[in-house]
Amino acid sequence: MFKTLSKLGLVAALLCTASSAAFADKLQDVLDRGYLIAGSGSTNAPWHFKDESNKLVGFDIDMLRLIAKGLFDDATKIEFVNQSGDARVPNLATDKVDVTCQFMTVTAGRAQLVEFSVPYYREGVGLMLLGSGKHKNYDALKAAGSNVTVSVLQNVYAEEMVHTALPEAKVDQYDSVDLMYQALNSGRSDAAATDQSSLSWFMAQNPKRYLDSGFGWNPQSYSCAVKPGDQRWLNFVNTVLHEAMTGVEFNTYAASYKKWFGAELSPPKIGFPIEFK
Amino acid sequence: MDILQALDAVWAARWPILEGIQHTLFISILSIIMGTILGVGVGLILTYGNRWIRFLVRLYSDFLRGTPVFVLILACFYILSVVGIQLTAYQAGIFALTLFCSSHVGEIVRGALQAIPAGQTEAAKSIGLTFRKMFVSVLFPQALRQILPTWVNTATEIVKASTLLSIIGVVELLLSVQQVISRTFLSLELYFFAGFVFFLINFAIEKVGRLVERKIAIPT
Repeated sequence: MFKTLSKLGLVAALLCTASSAAFADKLQDVLDRGYLIAGSGSTNAPWHFKDESNKLVGFDIDMLRLIAKGLFDDATKIEFVNQSGDARVPNLATDKVDVTCQFMTVTAGRAQLVEFSVPYYREGVGLMLLGSGKHKNYDALKAAGSNVTVSVLQNVYAEEMVHTALPEAKVDQYDSVDLMYQALNSGRSDAAATDQSSLSWFMAQNPKRYLDSGFGWNPQSYSCAVKPGDQRWLNFVNTVLHEAMTGVEFNTYAASYKKWFGAELSPPKIGFPIEFK
Repeated sequence: MDILQALDAVWAARWPILEGIQHTLFISILSIIMGTILGVGVGLILTYGNRWIRFLVRLYSDFLRGTPVFVLILACFYILSVVGIQLTAYQAGIFALTLFCSSHVGEIVRGALQAIPAGQTEAAKSIGLTFRKMFVSVLFPQALRQILPTWVNTATEIVKASTLLSIIGVVELLLSVQQVISRTFLSLELYFFAGFVFFLINFAIEKVGRLVERKIAIPT
């Protein structure tokens, strides 16, 4: 609690000092500079991580490259600033980055410190099953009641989280993701519950071995974030992301989605814009 | 634990990990050297300075020793950039560790100098040595025997504190290993590996310290 408070305090102090800076036109600044300074992490697959050849890759990274492509018609005109999750807000406040895309969950509290773009992914909790296992989908798991064991990452809310979806299931908590998956492999558990994106990534890495239960819960939105007070820059980031999901860059977005989450997206319906339906 | 799989992952990522080790070593060595030079100055002022400058340096030293390194690193990275000094994460990190090291070395030097019997200073003065000569040939060699064991301790603290730079995005050994973990999920094995490398670095520092200690010991 104190840690959070002191962190917020630091951030608030930084924001007060930073917001007194002169009127800024970030879009023009970035164009003049000739490259985008993008904030993201390097330790979370499939969002932002180093691949075998030590290149920074992932879904967040692809979104940032789309912004660079929008700015300069060249997705390589980008400099990545490696930051931890804690550094996302302060690095924006102190202008160390132009924009941050780092699986940032949109909350009302955070929206008072940064400005969020439109969401580019909806995260949630999913259930992964063994392809050769007893239960084939969520309904089968639910019907099995207390005969089902779910492995989950250790967390204060872990038990409550699983019981939201499977009220009678037994919950086994594990220290790390690999142990959780091992429990599923060895039959100690019937399903593994964790972030849908992690499951999708893991299933894409090990095709045909696992099944998705088809049920997800605990929704949260992931958005890019910019420093508050520069509407033109925020509009630009929004436009890039929006058109990536519904417009000219849809194929790039869909290819990235397929690569990291293993699923095909169907193009938006042609004709009346889907977002106003 | 799947040791072979872990070793395989380490081997596959050997270049980034080596680069991480190189950064850890460079950051640590630079911070220790600069912190020691600054710290000897701090120690001298704390022992021989006039009242006002001593008061200021005492404030500096107490403030830095009373602050967690973590907070110091964040302060150097963020607060300096608010007042217009834009340091890179790498520079800010080395700066923070240097300050931290200097305050500790300062206290070590002060303690060692004050532990030398007053008769030594009096004797040096009575044969007409200047302060510089007295410090270099009489006081410092004696103080060094006191300083060395605690200094080795501070040096290993700095190596360990360098892991905290990962929080502001410096890819030192720990963060480079975390990057491999995020791809392979071999968390236990790889953290053990990182810990072992840190142990080796600190063990080497300790061994060198012991060697120098033996060299400068009073012959019996």
